[in-house]
Amino acid sequence: MKESLIKFFHRIEPDKQKSPFLHTLYDGFFTFAFTPNHVTKGGVHIRDGMDMKRTMVTVVIALQLCYIFGTFNIGQQHFDALGMYPGVFEGFHLKIFHGLIQILPIFIVTHVVGLGIEFLYASRKGHPIEEGFLVSGALIPLIMPPDIPMWILILAITFAVIIGKEAFGGTGMNVFNVALLARVFVFFAYPTYISGDEVWVSGIEKSGLEHLSIQYGWVHHLLDGIFNSFGWSTFGPGGIPTIDGYTGATPLALAAKEGWEGVTKVYTETQMWWGNIPGSIGETSKPLIIIGALVLIGAGIASWRIMVSGVIGAVVVTLLMNGLVPDQLGPDTPGVFKFMAVPWYYQFYMGSFFFAIVYMATDPVTASATNTGKWIYGFLIGFVGMIIRVLNPAYPEGWMLAILFMNVFAPLIDHYVLEANISRRLKRAKAKTVTAG
Amino acid sequence: MEFLNVFIKAAFIENLVLAYFLGMCSYLAVSKTVKTAFGLGLAVIFVLGITMPINWLISEYLLSENGLLGIDLTFLRFILFIAVIASMVQLVEMVVEKFSPGLYAALGIFLPLITVNCAILGGSLFMVSREYNLTESVAFGLGGGFGWFLAIIAIAAIREKIRYSNVPPALRGLGMAFILTGLMGIAFMSLMGIDPAVFTAAK
Repeated sequence: MKESLIKFFHRIEPDKQKSPFLHTLYDGFFTFAFTPNHVTKGGVHIRDGMDMKRTMVTVVIALQLCYIFGTFNIGQQHFDALGMYPGVFEGFHLKIFHGLIQILPIFIVTHVVGLGIEFLYASRKGHPIEEGFLVSGALIPLIMPPDIPMWILILAITFAVIIGKEAFGGTGMNVFNVALLARVFVFFAYPTYISGDEVWVSGIEKSGLEHLSIQYGWVHHLLDGIFNSFGWSTFGPGGIPTIDGYTGATPLALAAKEGWEGVTKVYTETQMWWGNIPGSIGETSKPLIIIGALVLIGAGIASWRIMVSGVIGAVVVTLLMNGLVPDQLGPDTPGVFKFMAVPWYYQFYMGSFFFAIVYMATDPVTASATNTGKWIYGFLIGFVGMIIRVLNPAYPEGWMLAILFMNVFAPLIDHYVLEANISRRLKRAKAKTVTAG
Repeated sequence: MEFLNVFIKAAFIENLVLAYFLGMCSYLAVSKTVKTAFGLGLAVIFVLGITMPINWLISEYLLSENGLLGIDLTFLRFILFIAVIASMVQLVEMVVEKFSPGLYAALGIFLPLITVNCAILGGSLFMVSREYNLTESVAFGLGGGFGWFLAIIAIAAIREKIRYSNVPPALRGLGMAFILTGLMGIAFMSLMGIDPAVFTAAK
């Protein structure tokens, strides 16, 4: 098996001089299957099986649970909106397939565009393909709303990859998180399509590409035929995209208006904890994200320091805000104060805090590199993010923006941590020479 | 409390560089290393913090119709503001030259050029158009200066970091600085919309 695969790879290897693009492409897939033969020479280096590609793939594996649940949840929310199949396992296959119909186009477009740009740059610059887009490409579909129009998605990814990464010199050099840049680009450039205030449950209707919705209907019909032949339940009316496009208010939007009571009127705590609520694809289920976090920490890829300090920062801000709230909360107090009064442990039930702090904040390229720096960096993410979430009426959720904000300051934090370290050691060295002298 | 509101607003929410794009020339030119950026940032904080109340006093008691002279002299505003700023910069320059010749050499022409740094004149004009009182204008000066200081040391640290990156040759130097400023502007947009005054008013 292995030998034949190697033989196959050698047989199809294109000529590097004649077609650099094809060779780059080939090289990318070859190193995906095998470790290349050439090794580093000279100097000090560590021998380890974890090269960049393996690191990236571990993150992608940790994301899989989010993907599976996200796919199911799209379908669940869709049928909830229609009032069909209320139970979790009723019409399970329908929910999964409906989710797949929504998520696959996003996934495919993300990878075709992102990897396409990556391949193009690699062949132009004449270096092997860098794996950086694997993680970004896995993260982007998870943080986009399920029915984002494809042209916006393409624009956002092109912007994020070219301006956010290739301009800085490619993988590992970027200052800003690529997936976040893509999301923030959509957020600021097309605010009506992605607000987080009201998240799309399902349906391509708002996209302005009505002809696509006909295609989706067609897919549903095809699937109906297949399910029918197995004797399973079919989509029926659930397969037709609803004309109005159902949008549900997220817990955060409710909390901003009426505080925690407003949230519990609509969603139960268990529902929010397990993630059976409307939201972006990957963010809703808290336990699955925690499992992913454990995988990442176990593999030594994500920094637990950032996660822990992020949680501390968020808790500190919430406690501060709890203290600032006026004593009497009447019906006509502004919603901000009711939101500020939400206890810290309930804040974690809502929104994308876990997802952002586990997968976005710990990005080793854009986070602070020093350990002390990581504590400061994570703490400030929690601090700023909670402030944006609660106090900024313009944006319902703050983590993505807070992480981007701290990406700006990560190199500065590192700089001063290093400076402090240098001056401390200089002092120690001086003290030693004095005692020795 | 009022002081804190205006300070936070000027430093973070309406950052002079990253929201208004004022004071770009020295911001782009002196942000190559954190050390010089730090020095220039401190100079800007000082100049903004001093000129703002002085200019407030001038425009309130000298130039306005209800002032000491009793004549409307607002058309002299620009000249007088610039004169105050220039003399303050002169003061800073002498201090820096006396106490830190290294920094003085590193800043070079950009230290006297603070005089025409639009962030500083812009700050004074904002103060007039927003009708700040004396405390608020001190807060605005210090806050605006602090925001400028933060922006310049942040971009300087990033530029130090990307010095060893494989940036496309056409973008090296200023090109990258422009892209970075834009991206930092996007990041600072996250705080836009927060109004600290709401909380103090309701409390």
